[in-house]
Amino acid sequence: MSLLSISNLNLSIRKKPILRDVSLSVDAGQIVGIIGESGSGKSMTAYCVTQLLPEGLTATGDIRFNGKNILSTSETDMCAIRGAEISMVFQEPMTALNPVHTIGQQVAETILIHEPQTSKAEALERARDALNRVELPESRFPLSRYPHEMSGGQRQRVVIAMAIALRPKLLIADEPTTALDVTTQAEILTLLTRLVREDGMGLMIITHDLAVVADMADYIHIMQQGQIVEHGPADRLFQTMQHPYSKALLAASAHVPDREPPQGETPLLEVRNVLRDYALPRTKLFAKPESFRAVNDVSFTIRKGESLGLVGESGCGKSTLTRAILGLEEIQGGEILLSGEPVFTGKKPNRAVRRKMQVVFQDPYGSFNPRHRVDRLITEPFYLLDTTPPDREDRIAEALRSVGLTPDDAFKYPHEFSGGQRQRIAIARALIIKPELIILDEAVSALDVSIRAQILDLLAELSETHGLTYLFISHDLSVVRSITDRVLVMQHGKIVEQGETQSVFDNPTDIYTQTLIAAAPRLPEDLRNF
Amino acid sequence: MCYKCVDIASWVQGGWRGQPGAARRIAKETRGWTIWLQASSQGTEILCILLFTSRALLPNLRPMLRYTLSRLQSLILSLIVASIVIFATVEVVPGDPASFMLGMNAQPDTIAALREQLGLDVPLWQRYLHWATGLLGGDFGTSYTYRTPISEMIGDRLWISLPLAIYALTLSTLIAFPAGILAATRRGSATDVGVMGITQLGVAIPNFWFAMLMVLVFAINLRWFSAGGFPGWEDPLLAMKALTLPAIALALPQASILARVMRSALLDTLSEDYVRTARAKGLTRRQTLWRHALRNALIPVLTIIGLQFSFLMAGAIIIENVFFLPGLGRLVFQAISQRDLIVVESVVMLLVFAVIIVNFAVDIAYAIVDPRLRGNR
Repeated sequence: MSLLSISNLNLSIRKKPILRDVSLSVDAGQIVGIIGESGSGKSMTAYCVTQLLPEGLTATGDIRFNGKNILSTSETDMCAIRGAEISMVFQEPMTALNPVHTIGQQVAETILIHEPQTSKAEALERARDALNRVELPESRFPLSRYPHEMSGGQRQRVVIAMAIALRPKLLIADEPTTALDVTTQAEILTLLTRLVREDGMGLMIITHDLAVVADMADYIHIMQQGQIVEHGPADRLFQTMQHPYSKALLAASAHVPDREPPQGETPLLEVRNVLRDYALPRTKLFAKPESFRAVNDVSFTIRKGESLGLVGESGCGKSTLTRAILGLEEIQGGEILLSGEPVFTGKKPNRAVRRKMQVVFQDPYGSFNPRHRVDRLITEPFYLLDTTPPDREDRIAEALRSVGLTPDDAFKYPHEFSGGQRQRIAIARALIIKPELIILDEAVSALDVSIRAQILDLLAELSETHGLTYLFISHDLSVVRSITDRVLVMQHGKIVEQGETQSVFDNPTDIYTQTLIAAAPRLPEDLRNF
Repeated sequence: MCYKCVDIASWVQGGWRGQPGAARRIAKETRGWTIWLQASSQGTEILCILLFTSRALLPNLRPMLRYTLSRLQSLILSLIVASIVIFATVEVVPGDPASFMLGMNAQPDTIAALREQLGLDVPLWQRYLHWATGLLGGDFGTSYTYRTPISEMIGDRLWISLPLAIYALTLSTLIAFPAGILAATRRGSATDVGVMGITQLGVAIPNFWFAMLMVLVFAINLRWFSAGGFPGWEDPLLAMKALTLPAIALALPQASILARVMRSALLDTLSEDYVRTARAKGLTRRQTLWRHALRNALIPVLTIIGLQFSFLMAGAIIIENVFFLPGLGRLVFQAISQRDLIVVESVVMLLVFAVIIVNFAVDIAYAIVDPRLRGNR
């Protein structure tokens, strides 16, 4: 008998079905991957198992955990099961820990809640053990640390320590590595696998990224719109896939847009020996504050029509560099030229140069004012021009049409669009003043794989029709590989390697680049050209 | 602390009964300081309590100390800036105290003589320095109108305004916390709707009207309380009783606002990821609320409490008028209408001092609640 078996699970919110006849099982010591795009119901399945559904929702069907019927278990009994027998790890490590308690208190709390007779000292001691198991040694991570004193990956380890402190039988990890850098992601996945093997617990890992679970899970379920459309043992699933959706998902993950190689050698953006220092908080009242060098002697050139990738992990200085290129901040050394003109002159951005470049950010939800209509949102770059162009309406229609929307969409508000459509609006906003350079700052990172493939196609097409040049900043190596001609790898504010994308990925020379590429999750090699 | 200071003054007065001149002199000297101490007592008491509790809460006091010192720096700076602004503002208001005191038909040379006597003929910056250094020594100067030391005038009134403010704030906190928590935990229920309705009413009702209504019911009809006036602190119970209706009137709108802030802050934190994490650990809803949500919800609530205390200290004029309480608000009001500039300056400065001290205490409280504000080790 399985550790967890779900059969015919159904759930609906206001008559709208969220889960339809979901059936799956997890055995002790088994890693089961659940894959799906946003809204596929994969997280809801997890919440059903722990009975942590949003208020007022009840699932029907049958969930058996260790022979016990979960759906008919009382809330009091569920509290005894959660954290002790079934534990959960969530996506956002930055917010998953209570900022006002130390990590020791938070890990010990799991123990104290379930074993109230334990003394506080003993609970803290066991918390120490749990933290050691997730590789947070005492010397560097004393129990008295607060979450804000740790990085995202370290916090995720604390969350995992909380979850495994009582050696649960089942661990549910909901997108545990989505918010993390590739190298950190690889470490966390290794850690989870090790814990499963050591404790013989079942692991249900939920993700949108096929590659993440491809070489980790024993069994994989693919979900679409509340249904499991395909499932099978991980080692054979990719070969035996039948359902059109799972095939499409796989194709989208490995999607490479058709692009023409760039013509010509004219430099568009020249970045020469750029330095960017940040002042650190004063330590003494009258002493000069020390500074932190976020961008250290960076030089590169983007040719007209080229697509250049900039890869690096969080904190490497890539966002700082972006802001400097956009002329949003003054640099402390070197120069940044667009078509031979400096982007920053006399303590402020050079408007004449500034209007030749636009930027698209990661978050399609946060980068629009929700109270403005699309026409107003996408015409914002007009402020960079000296006068509003007389053909404003035509330009709006053209920009919207070129990103695959209709001119009528100009009168809608951002909340009426999906994430992918919003990213199209963001691209329309960048296109409207006909720039030469578009900076894409993690522009497809928040999107589902199938939407991501569409946006990448759109970008490739626009680059040809509008003669655009891209600076493509991302932590996602597979995306950078598919859409850029050349790539820069950045670490600690420096460019450690640069070259043709294909050759850098195939034969990385720098150690850091090698680590990055090795850490990136990959689909089985024979499927790349699926 | 405050009692002790006043005791010293009266003890000195009593003990030197044989030599009234000397007694008055010493009393005058000590009185100046007692006012500062009284005003700062609220702040420092909160501070002491906070520091003591923080010892238990904090594994490491060093960042806390550094934070406190940096806050102290800005406190002193604010005081200096505030004193300049207050002095400048009051001095540029039209109206000459000397001509006001002597009436419409006064001779110009009489006015000039009085101006000289009051020290109004020297340049502005000299008057500021004189005033500011006087303040430092606890000497507020002499009222133009009443010719009595301002420290005495303020001292008596502070003993009504400060207890009234603390009383009202205590009431408002005691009402608002349970109401806000109850409403947030039972969101959408009848309790929530009830609390929201009542607090809406509490914000909307003018407090002087509510005060008069209470006088009508509890003082005139039921005769439980007196309708106004203040019997002095000889009998503390009687004094508290006299302050009860005004405190309720002041607390009603404050409690309503605070309860709403508490509710929305708690609802915000209840939807945070770490609350979900806590539930996944096996905590019940109630445990999650008390252990994880409440402390995180305190930051906005503390901000409002700080603002409310300042408002209660300075803004109780109307309620003081309804209940015939000789408090600070009424003193300022009278002083302004009589162009008694130096009294206005001193009282406003004292109120600013109280506000800054309270803000300081709130800042410290933030850091105790939220370790992120203490900075990294």
